This record gives sequence, structure tokens and C-alpha cells, in this order.
Amino acid sequence: MYLGLSGYNHESAAALVNNDAKLIDYCREESLSRIKGDKSFPKRSIRKIIENNKLNISEIKAVVFYERPLSSFLHPIKTATLYFPKSAPLISHQLRNFKKSSIGCFLDLASIFPGLEKKLIYLDHHLSHTLNALPYSNNQKNICSVVVDGFGDRSTSSISQVNNPYDIREIWTCKYPVSLGLLYSAITDFLGFQVNEGEYKVMGLAAFGNKKSQLAKKVSSLLNFDIVTKRFEQDMSFFSYHISPNDSFSEKLITLLGKPRNPFESLSTENKDFQKYADIAAGAQSLVINNLRMLFEYAYSLTNTTTFLFSGGVAMNSASLDSIASLPFVEKLIVPPSPGDAGSAIGAAYYGFLKNSVKTVKFLPKPDLFPSQYNYENQLKTAKKILDKDFKILTNNINEALKIAANLISKGEVIGTLIGNIEIGPRALGHRSLICDGKNAKAVNYLNSVIKNRSPFRPTAPCMNLETAKKYYDLRGELMESYKSMGATCSCKVGSGSSNFPTSHIDETARLQIIEDNSFLDKLFRELKEFDIEILANSSLNASGDPTCYDLIDVLMLSARHPLRYIITDFGLLESKFFGHI
Amino acid sequence: MNKTLKLNKEEENRYLNILNETLSAEYGSALEMLAACKLSEKDTFAYGYFQHSKDEYNHSKTFYSILGKYGRKFGEEISRKYRFNTNSLIAKGYLSREGYLIETMKLKDFIAYVYTNELLARDSFEGILKLFKKNSNERDQISQIMSDELRHHGLAEQHFLKYYPKLQPWQLMIYRFRESVKNKGRKFYDKNLKFLDKILTPLYYSLAFIAGKIIYLIDLDQFQREGKNLMDIKSKSII
Ligand SMILES: [Fe+2]
Ligand SMILES: [Fe+2]
Ligand SMILES: [Fe+2]
Repeated sequence: MYLGLSGYNHESAAALVNNDAKLIDYCREESLSRIKGDKSFPKRSIRKIIENNKLNISEIKAVVFYERPLSSFLHPIKTATLYFPKSAPLISHQLRNFKKSSIGCFLDLASIFPGLEKKLIYLDHHLSHTLNALPYSNNQKNICSVVVDGFGDRSTSSISQVNNPYDIREIWTCKYPVSLGLLYSAITDFLGFQVNEGEYKVMGLAAFGNKKSQLAKKVSSLLNFDIVTKRFEQDMSFFSYHISPNDSFSEKLITLLGKPRNPFESLSTENKDFQKYADIAAGAQSLVINNLRMLFEYAYSLTNTTTFLFSGGVAMNSASLDSIASLPFVEKLIVPPSPGDAGSAIGAAYYGFLKNSVKTVKFLPKPDLFPSQYNYENQLKTAKKILDKDFKILTNNINEALKIAANLISKGEVIGTLIGNIEIGPRALGHRSLICDGKNAKAVNYLNSVIKNRSPFRPTAPCMNLETAKKYYDLRGELMESYKSMGATCSCKVGSGSSNFPTSHIDETARLQIIEDNSFLDKLFRELKEFDIEILANSSLNASGDPTCYDLIDVLMLSARHPLRYIITDFGLLESKFFGHI
Repeated sequence: MNKTLKLNKEEENRYLNILNETLSAEYGSALEMLAACKLSEKDTFAYGYFQHSKDEYNHSKTFYSILGKYGRKFGEEISRKYRFNTNSLIAKGYLSREGYLIETMKLKDFIAYVYTNELLARDSFEGILKLFKKNSNERDQISQIMSDELRHHGLAEQHFLKYYPKLQPWQLMIYRFRESVKNKGRKFYDKNLKFLDKILTPLYYSLAFIAGKIIYLIDLDQFQREGKNLMDIKSKSII
């Protein structure tokens, strides 16, 4: 067994790969700690994995950490020294937090899981991203891996040639502090959203902006891939993330773009500055798309391959994938369901497996979309009184629950789902979802604004089967794998009417999910047939600012705090008695 | 907030800081209670902690909206520093790095802790209340929260005496005394830490300069990987 870990600098998680290279358990720390984007040492996830799988410490052959900690500690300081004395706060902050940096992983393991620290090994950060993406490709030989994130242990983006799982050669890197990911985060910050969380909002907002506007052009010229030097060129004087522990952009960016947005101001289309901020977001989005296209073109010229793995935090930018996939030489674009750092714990676990196997394994098997083991039964006893007093069990027969749920959906109700294991990535795919009729604008709006309290400019995603998707959307063969995990947007088909669906974005795209056969959603769709419902709106099971619900008590709490009336679970359909009193 | 009172920047900072800290404390309690709910052995305990957690979530929602109101009022330059981020709860000390209280304490101590803390929370609201004008919306909201805290305190006391009848109310008083001393100590320590930090900053910066000089000399480029098989780099190496 091989345990992969991520944490300290970015979202922490733990993954377990068995001796047959199968991902058998996985957990994001935020699921258990309930702290969104939790980056602390993933102690609860490790404990949960050890207990769930009844592991003996001796059965774990390697514990693999997702980056090289000293490298990730030293690089930012070394860069900061070039900017002394302005960078003194950052250097001093880094040094004072030495023990809290990822170098502490060894000590944390030794104190909480004694014995495991002796098995600790490391791999390059971008390799952990590559290995997280690789199992999703049917072809794992002679392909190309592009990784773009904020900052790993050395670089901020890279291109590697994957000859086979044992031979992955790095052929190009972009060095810190130049960073597409950190630049996008700085703009996220400028727009008043939380870094590492609000990037989705910038992407949603961008669709309302005019990318040809002056402001957008100013933003999109902040970073450029130079075709002569084959490097990203970024004027660092507009940014501060490389010299300050608190600020991501400089006064110069304010001079360029005007006042940053007040994070407490509500942002809606009626807002007087809305267009200005939307234009800035649009500029950031074109910057990402243009530069990624150039990077992929360069990657193609280096590797001459047509299958591309794409991972790292920037690969979560689902709105850029369609454009990359449209490049003439791209035949397959594989983005794993959890392309960010939480997912790289999985890549780390695969590394442990590969390092300990004889070099005859040709292929890493594709993981399940729901690998994180969860069993509600353990919590039923604890939650008994809560269920008795505050909830009504409408039925405890799952088939009947599906029928009633379908009927409720047809009447415009929103249903929460708590089914089996949780999703591997940040997108809800039916197991921890809020769903409603995808063509019912009132229901979608209720889901989005009333239950989730989300900004109105963020679209809610639709899900459907492949046949329906083909009817309404222009799908790309290159991205088929990503549609299964809601990883990519696609355009609405002209004349199909889909651009008027409430789940379509203002730019006539949708980030759709194509459901898998025999999945929970597939079973629900069979019941929905009689009501002519072919599309469901599907959003993650949480309110804005909270992590996605993980267990039974989380979802009960969600409906105690927000007007979510119905929840479908493995043990039946629940109705909340809080409803109407919130 | 008193409308007649013109606030200077420093005061505006102080207001937002207090609101942000209170929000953090409330959200931290909500998470503590949720954890306690999940780890309860009896479903009746779980039910109590569930309700308590829900209340604390609601308190944090109230403070979130008050923070938002004044954040909008005071302008972005100041307010962007006081954005609420649950990830900072550990760094700020509202949650322990070691884990939730229920994970690290004996149940009996945990109940006593809740008992005393609810009262302390109520006390600290007295101070916050003064920030706002009489008859203001905020005062009403905070008074409501204070009565919740008092109720939690009462419930914790009942709970404690029911399950640990051998312990007398005076023993709870000792717990309370211990906690309030700790709390005062914490404040004192915090103040001193901030003071020390101010004095030591130039020293830290000079140390940063020296360390920076040394790190500058390390040739990190020798660890570059171009053309290398990443799978073959030593897996024990931390650089
Ligand atoms: Fe990364
Ligand atoms: Fe409270
Ligand atoms: Fe309380």
C-alpha cells in the first residue's frame, strides 16, 4: 500500500493506492475538518484511511509527499533576496514560519503516526500532477504532460515528455516568480475574491466582460509567451506576491486598472462598477487562454505528440479547455477530475507504487470518480435523535425514494443528495449534489441564490446523458473524458434552444456533466423520463463559503441552516422540519 | 454604530478587526460543536451539540453581515484586510493545530470548557455592544446572540451536573476561574507578543537580510531537471 500526501502550501489530502496500482481510498482534509481549502497536515484524512482500510503501519510501503519541501521553502526566499529591502517582510515571514512549512511533514508524521516518518519519500511537485493525470489516459506512452499552477517546488509551469510511466522527462519549465497561476490569483484578489477559492468567480464573471475593452487589453498584456525566447514574460512590478506575505498586487496595478473592488460590496449586473470588473476578469481569462494556447503549441513542437495531459490549478479553468482542444494538433486533452494540489496527493501515491514495482507495469488503471470511502451507517446511531426530531423520513426504500424525488423535481423542488462515496474532485457529480430541473429557471435560481447564496453571475452546471448532450451542445471528442467530471465547458448548439436554458452561461456555454451508465444520476434520469426531464441542474452540496458536505451530519446541518427541504440518501428520502423556519 | 461619531482610519480598523475576530470566534465554535456532535457517543449528546453548532453558525452569519455592512461603509482600502477566511482560524488561534477540543480533551473537561467559555463569550459581547448605537439593529442582533450564549452556558451546566453528579457547582466555578485566568493570560500574552513583535521587527529584518544573503549564494540551478527523467531523481531528497 502507498500513501500519498499533499498539504501545508495548498489544499491537503491523503490518497491510498494498493499493490495493484488501484486508487482505493482518498480524502481531502477539508471534508473532515470542515475548513474550506484546509492546508494543514492531513492528519484526519490519514487516520480515516488507516481505519477504513484496517491498515497496519507495516503494510504501508511508502508515504509520498507531493513536493520537495526544502526546494519549495528556498525558492521563494532566493527570489525575494533580489528585491531586498522591499522583500524583507516576506523573507522574515518565511523564516519565522519555517516549522510550519512543508519541511514539517516529517515531524508531524513522527509525532502523530510514529513509524510512518521512516517511510517518507518525496517527488517533484509537477511530477505528482502528471502522475495524477496519467491514469485517465487510455494511452500512457509517448504523450505530453503540461502542468500549470501557482507555484510548485521549483517551477510554475512545465512541459514533460511521458515516454512511459517510468520515464517522464521534463523538457521545459517556467521559473518562479513568473506564474500564470499566481497572476490569475492576484487578479482574483484585486477583484475582491478570496485567493485559491474565488478563481471560479473570476471565470464566471469574465463572460460578462468585453475582452476588446481597454481594461481587458491592459490585463491581458500582463503576461505573454515570447515565441522567440520560448518563455513567459511578466512585468513583476505590477505584482507583490513575490515580495510580500500579504499583498498579491502592487500600487502600479492600481494605477493601471483603478481601485480594486471592495470585497464586501455585492456584485451584480445592476452594480455601477460591474462592467469594469467584468472587463478586468475578461482580460484575465483571455490572458489565460492565449498563453495556454501558445504553451500547447510549443509543447507540440517539442514532443510532436497529439495526446496531452493537462493538470495543475490552472487546469481547473474549465472555460479555457474548449479553446485548447480546438488547436488542430490536439487529439486528446486529458484533465483529471481533481487537477489541483488536493489531487496531486493521488499522483504522489502512484509514484510510491511505481518506485516499488518492477518496471514491467505498462499501465496505471483509471480511478473511480468516487474513490473516497464513506459509509453512512456508522453515523446513523449518532444522528438518531436529530433525525427523529428534526427530519421526517418519507420513505426508506431507495427505489421509492427515486420515484418521489423525480416527482418532486418535476414540481420544481430542489433535492440534496448524499449517496455513497464523495466525489474525487471539486465538482459535484451526483453523490454530494444539489439538483433540480435544469430547464426550470425558477428552481435553478432558487438553488443558486436562496439555498447556496451564490453570486448571481455564476452559472449552475447542467448534467445529462450523452444522447441529450449531443442534441444541445457542441461536444469535442478531445474532451470526452473531462465532460464526465464536469471539467470543461462547451458551446450551446446553434438552433437547439439550449442557450436559453437557465444552466447556460451568458456567453452561450455550459460546463456540462455527461453522466455514466448505472450511476445514481442515471437511475434518477430513468424515473424522470415520465416527466420529460432530460437535464438536471447540478451544483455542489454546500452553501457559499463552506466545503462540500461530506457525511450525514454535514448535510443535516446544511438543511438546518439553509432552506433545503429534501435530501435523498442511501437509506431513503428525508424531509427537513427546519424548512419554513429559516 | 454611532453616526455622530466620525471615525478615523485607526478606529475604522479597530471596528473591522473586532468584528472579524468575533466572527472568527463564532465560526470556530460552530466547527468545535459540529465536531463534538459527530464524536458523541450518545445520540442525545449529538443532538445537543448539533443545535449548539447551528446557533454558532447563525451567530457567525450575523457577524458576517455586520462586518459586510461596515466593510462597505469604510471603503476597500481598509476593508480588504478584514475579509473573512476560514483558513485563518488555525493561524489566529481560534482552532488548535492539534485538532478540535473534543479530539484532544476528556469529555468532562470539554463540557466544563463549554460551560465556562459560553459565559466568557457573553462577557466579551458586552464590550462589542458598546460599539453600536442604542436601538440599532446590530444591538438587537448581538443581544439575541448574548441570550443564546447564556442559554448554552445553562445547558452545559445542566449537562455537566446530570452526567457528573458527583461534581458540585463549586467545582464548575473552579473551571470557570481557571478559564478566565487563562483567557486574561491569553490577552496579556497577545498584547505583549504584539509589542515584542514591533520591537523585534527590525531585528527580524536584519536577520532576513543575512539569511537572504546566504540563501542567495545557494545555487539552486544545480537542481534543475531539464532533460532528466523525473522518475529517477532520488526520492529521499528534499530539494
Ligand atoms: Fe500544484
Ligand atoms: Fe456564539
Ligand atoms: Fe455559544
